[in-house]
Amino acid sequence: MTTLHILNASPVHASQLNSCLRVLSVEDAVVLCGEAVQALRIGSEAAKQLQACDRAYRLYALEEDVCARAIDLADLPVTLLDYPAFVALCVEYARVNSWT
Amino acid sequence: MIKSVLLISRQAPWAGLGAAEALDIALAAGAFDLPLSILFMDDGVLQLLDKQQPQTLEQKDLSANLQALPLFGIEQLYVAQHCLAQRGLDHRTLAVAAEVLDDSQIQQLIRQYDYVMTL
Repeated sequence: MTTLHILNASPVHASQLNSCLRVLSVEDAVVLCGEAVQALRIGSEAAKQLQACDRAYRLYALEEDVCARAIDLADLPVTLLDYPAFVALCVEYARVNSWT
Repeated sequence: MIKSVLLISRQAPWAGLGAAEALDIALAAGAFDLPLSILFMDDGVLQLLDKQQPQTLEQKDLSANLQALPLFGIEQLYVAQHCLAQRGLDHRTLAVAAEVLDDSQIQQLIRQYDYVMTL
């Protein structure tokens, strides 16, 4: 019974990422969209937090949001999504937690 | 089949409408006998403080809505331990009784519900 966590706010300004990583279960997934994709930027504190999480989770990001922001990706196992793939993920997981 | 909902309330009572709207959702769910629990996290834990004076900011007092939750069948309130600690708060001083959970207990809690809503 896994959860898809959707984050949309800047990891620098908001506590979404911090709190999400605390309550993430093994096998859950995180989708970064909007300003939340800044967490993938190489060398950023947020990228280090994502790398340091001690539970196995899947990481996704919306490709157009990443491309728009000229993000040099940190060394993270991230899968980039288009909108149809995003929708498919939402259906795949038992529940969706959209952090606001 | 009736689905269960975990509502995660993360906003301070004075920082916009999120806190009030979360409580409205909870009361509405309770009125329709939907199984719903609330987890207070991040600045949402501040909703539980005693002796607030929102009228000094010309804002609505949410404490009556909180006190009404049990009357609407919303019995189970949870609060994140690390969020209380970050803000220097002790659960014994809260206006409403809520079960204090650590991170791994919250991980388990989320898995028990059909839907999760975060406000």
